[in-house]
Amino acid sequence: MSSWMKMLKDLTVRPKGERRIRKSPSFSFDEDMNKPISGQTVKEILSKSSDIVFREFNFPGKSRIPCMLVVVDGLVDKNILDQFVLKPLMVDLNHHPDLERVTLANVIDITIQSFLPGIEIKKIVKMEEAVSTILSGDAVIFFGESSEAISIGARGWANRGVNEPIAESIVKGPHEGFTETLRINTSLLRRKIKHPSLRIISLKLGDISNTELVVVYIEKIANKDIVSEVLLRLSKIKMDSVIDVGYIEEMIEDFPYSPFPQIAYTERPDVLAGKLLEGKVGIILDGTPIVLVVPAILMEFLNVNEDYYQRAMTAILSRFVRYVGSFVAVVAPSTYIAVTTFHQEIIPTDLLMSISAGRQGVPFPALLEALTMTIVLEILQEAGLRLPKPIGQTIGIVGALIIGDAAVNAGLVSPLMVIIIGLTAVASYAIPYYDLSLAVRLLRFPLMILAGILGFFGVAVGLYAILIHLLGLRSFGVPYTSPIAPLRVRALLQDTFVRAPWWALKRRPQLIDVQEPRSKGKG
Amino acid sequence: MERISAHQFTTLGAGVLLGTTFLPVASIVALVGGRDGWMSVLPGFALGIPYSLMILSLMKYYPRRNLLQISEEAFGRWIGKLIGIIYLLCAIYLGGLLLGQVGDIYQTSIMPLTPLWIFFLGGIILVLYLTRSGIEVFARFSEITFPLIVVAILLNVGLSIPRIEQGELLPILGEGLIPIFKGSLKVIPFVMTYMLFLAGVIAYLPTDKKAIGQLKTGAWKIVFWAGILDTLIALIQMLVFGPTETIRLVYGLLALGKMVEVSRTVSGVESLFLGVWFAAAVIKIGSLFFVAIWGLESVFGIKGVKWRHVIAIIFLGIAFKNVRAPSLINEIGLVGEYIIMPFVSLWIPVLWGVMRWKRGAGY
Amino acid sequence: MDVFSLEEESGCLMKSSRKKYMTGLMIFSLFLILSISGCWGKREVEDLAPLMGIGFDLGEKPGTYLVTQQYAKTKKGGNSGAETEERTLGAEASSVREAFDIVSKAAYRTPFMGSLKVIVIGEDVAKAGGFNNMLDFAQRFAEFRRSMYLVIARGKAEDVLNLKLRSEQLPALYIRSIIEGGHELSAFPMVRLGHYLTVLGTKSTAPILPVVEAVKDGDRIHYKAEKADEAGEIRIEGAGVLNGDQLVDFLNDEETKGYMWLEDDVFNRLINTVDLKESTVKFSGQVLKSNTRYKVKSDGENIGLNYQVRTSIAIDEVLGLDRQLSGSDWVELVKEAEESFAKVIQQECESAIKKQRELGFDFLGIGRHIEQRNPKYWKSLKERWKQEVSDFPVSFDVKVTVHHTGMSSSSATNSEGEGQD
Repeated sequence: MSSWMKMLKDLTVRPKGERRIRKSPSFSFDEDMNKPISGQTVKEILSKSSDIVFREFNFPGKSRIPCMLVVVDGLVDKNILDQFVLKPLMVDLNHHPDLERVTLANVIDITIQSFLPGIEIKKIVKMEEAVSTILSGDAVIFFGESSEAISIGARGWANRGVNEPIAESIVKGPHEGFTETLRINTSLLRRKIKHPSLRIISLKLGDISNTELVVVYIEKIANKDIVSEVLLRLSKIKMDSVIDVGYIEEMIEDFPYSPFPQIAYTERPDVLAGKLLEGKVGIILDGTPIVLVVPAILMEFLNVNEDYYQRAMTAILSRFVRYVGSFVAVVAPSTYIAVTTFHQEIIPTDLLMSISAGRQGVPFPALLEALTMTIVLEILQEAGLRLPKPIGQTIGIVGALIIGDAAVNAGLVSPLMVIIIGLTAVASYAIPYYDLSLAVRLLRFPLMILAGILGFFGVAVGLYAILIHLLGLRSFGVPYTSPIAPLRVRALLQDTFVRAPWWALKRRPQLIDVQEPRSKGKG
Repeated sequence: MERISAHQFTTLGAGVLLGTTFLPVASIVALVGGRDGWMSVLPGFALGIPYSLMILSLMKYYPRRNLLQISEEAFGRWIGKLIGIIYLLCAIYLGGLLLGQVGDIYQTSIMPLTPLWIFFLGGIILVLYLTRSGIEVFARFSEITFPLIVVAILLNVGLSIPRIEQGELLPILGEGLIPIFKGSLKVIPFVMTYMLFLAGVIAYLPTDKKAIGQLKTGAWKIVFWAGILDTLIALIQMLVFGPTETIRLVYGLLALGKMVEVSRTVSGVESLFLGVWFAAAVIKIGSLFFVAIWGLESVFGIKGVKWRHVIAIIFLGIAFKNVRAPSLINEIGLVGEYIIMPFVSLWIPVLWGVMRWKRGAGY
Repeated sequence: MDVFSLEEESGCLMKSSRKKYMTGLMIFSLFLILSISGCWGKREVEDLAPLMGIGFDLGEKPGTYLVTQQYAKTKKGGNSGAETEERTLGAEASSVREAFDIVSKAAYRTPFMGSLKVIVIGEDVAKAGGFNNMLDFAQRFAEFRRSMYLVIARGKAEDVLNLKLRSEQLPALYIRSIIEGGHELSAFPMVRLGHYLTVLGTKSTAPILPVVEAVKDGDRIHYKAEKADEAGEIRIEGAGVLNGDQLVDFLNDEETKGYMWLEDDVFNRLINTVDLKESTVKFSGQVLKSNTRYKVKSDGENIGLNYQVRTSIAIDEVLGLDRQLSGSDWVELVKEAEESFAKVIQQECESAIKKQRELGFDFLGIGRHIEQRNPKYWKSLKERWKQEVSDFPVSFDVKVTVHHTGMSSSSATNSEGEGQD
């Protein structure tokens, strides 16, 4: 009953801005974090981890200040540290004219100004910052009793290279995808949009995980209200860890109890760039190649960026196929049930006879047959999903061909039902976004039950209820069913069911409110 | 405050005006207008235009208020309340009857063994969900479903063309113009029911100058769309069935649907068509539900989820009281013709005249 | 005014008690629907017995009818799709519903009326009249469609439906196939229930139904019958004229064809001039298209109806040609052919008119044509139309155009050739 409660609550519950999922535990070093910087304290906090390296040395010259370089083994590029930190400080420095001026008080300033080459070098003053800098993969040098330290950007860990994303493969268009490293991702984006108006705003999330996150948008195009709403909702998130964008997605979406995805995502820099140019806001999280894009409307989940790279006419055809496919995926099994158990008059006599012949001796009523087959289909999909690729294919073949054929031959299932379920499965693969196809798979079940109890009346009630639900949804203030309802004629004609050719787009299609609607083409 | 755009106003208005009229319209006009009855639909609907324009012009001076609130100002508190009560009762009674018709149509035509309360419940749940989601969502709902309704009707009409009987339309004007005039009188209740909704929905319409122009065009479009569609339906039934059969068939359009055969692929589309018709019924009942909500609010000053459920229960009660289909259909006709039509056709012009006079007199 | 805004803030204002109330209501209603998931009207498709044809004959007791119902039964056909078996049952009852009641006790499946294709009316019922009462069920009950076909059986409807056809098809389906293929012949009218009811509604026009009959070996068609004296084929030929719902008389083939011309119901047809006595060269051909128009003409005092038939024909056969013709002669011959065809068409039309005058029933719908074209005159005529039918002036204007003469000009001949021109 509680699951019903949850499902039904989407009709009644509004999202709350702020929610705390888990309370962060308190740690023994919490107090240390507020102390002034000192090498000793850092050692106390971090020495229990074997991957932390403490390299102690003395500052050359007469001051002989004891120094300590702290890094996380594996996160730093040791070559950089050897060549450009330790060598200058320990070897080259001996003949430097400034060396004689060094005292404990000014060592840090002089070191930054004169001794250390490199771009990412800065002074830090807080204990907490020192620790998180070390853990983020930078090097920090502590100088004796000084209450300041120097951080040196020397990140260099093993990266997954820029590969083609598996989940979003396309035929024609750029093949690079985001990686797990935030900076690589922003650089990929920057390479697409070389304009000063591209804004990249940094935030940190997660009390324990301390995950870096950036919000990207294009000033002058993105709606200011949406940007500030995104920043507001992100700043309200209180969680101890953020490992994937999925965490954020659930925290910031408008209607948490809706099965429909309200936030788009992508793994492709070109898709992100395209959406930013439409006035959307992107959220890039460190540690995951998935980038969130808000606000999202239903139609976006049915369109793919490749539509913009193909010729307009063929793009229109493939969009049409996708729309038809998703509609079939929702209604095919329930229509079949309604027609064969309630509205036989709609079937022409010849077809009626062959359906009837196929169902002779099938022990289940049509509803149960369809439900069982759909559940089997779900199991097959779920089973094949996480298996290594070669085995996954075997599952598909075994499941679809052998089990299906055997079931028909054994008279457990009627042949037409196998066709319908197969068609449904194939049709739901035509939905490009996995989240939406999950929603469709979920909605099939109540529709099938309604069809089995009430025929077309049930299907109509179910579909209209879904429609009303969709019409009430908003993503960051943008109606989910825009541009169809509320109607935006230009967007509907140029970039919804049809994709107008680039030369015909004098203005940016207004799927959502943007600041400057005029553009010479979108890209 | 929720807002409805001019385009939404057009589809919403057309959806409400068309509503469920397309099933009985052919039979009604053929009964008085005979072979020429189909021609009387548009003139009857055209009466909606002056009425809509009167309401819109009132709205210009009293933005964000509905006609009941304006009436209270015009006629004083007590007469205003009285009008509100009639308004409320009309909406609730007709809404309940139409809910009953949903059950009747489904049970008669495609699901003979399913109990009526299922249809009532299905209808009222959707209407409740819609009203709960607000007038904006209601407007969007009609924005999406009205085109569907139009397409379904056109398809039904188009697919019936092979069944047209020879020369059923002739002679045109064999009886002169009087039957057309009589037929027009019979469709006026449809228009007046729509006025009930318009009287309330104006509170949500934009009132800037550009928008008012669009709304006025919208008012024309609404009448035009609904009138053309109903005319087409009356026409195709006359062409296929001839006058005697058109009068006799209770839901002629469904009988047409039953005759459709697309080679050997589909035979009979009435169950699919009824799915779309259901959307029209939900729009119509939903509009009357909104009317009831507005009425309650301006007369008694009460609103909220509890009262919506009370209205829903009253709707259900009226539907259950009228399970006998012939008397139900008769009752719907009577309510339209003898209560709503006289009430609305008097109320709006008088109100308009009084307000004009008051403004002229310097108020 | 703003009762239930969708804005973000109002969500926070919602009281939790209201939430619970709503949730509870939803759960309650869903539970109600799910738990009482009875099987109202739910029928699995394999439990249905699709009704294909229905026949009416007079019952033995007065006031009762013998209602013959033909169901299709599906064999479990493995992979080869559906094969149908016949299952024909009859019952005597005074209403059709009662007949179904009687039969259902023997048949274990639910009869499904949505697939009914043909209603066969036995000759005795048709002659006795009053079968509209039997049809009322078919036009009232929602499962039926108004597009089913009506035919009159020569003899008993029961016998027609119980025929063992050599093609092993169900007689009802067979009749449907003949009717639906009828456009190619245009030799008999295609009458759907809806059309019949509409014609009844005009009051002035007499309905007409095609006639179906069992064909024995040697009855103009020869085949090898399995048992002698038992018919194995079905044919539709001619038509029956009704006065309301009472059969008045049968039309023969020629009169029916005439009716088809006059009703503008000819699509494609086979036509020949073999019976024409005047000409020596005979032709046969196929009607490509035909169009009949109606003109109400007055010649001074009398107002009459003028039929204008415009037909295009392709010649398929030329008989009795004994010499090779030159090009110009061939042109002349084709013109002659046009005249011959026109004569044949006119003869057919005249025979239909003659029959109408004999019977005194307006099955050609002349009254409606006048009403459509001259409603004023019709008003004066309406009351005495019954008497006027027999001598209402009618004229014809038939024009035939031969489009082509097939793949050759002159035919092959026996005489020594003069060579081809």
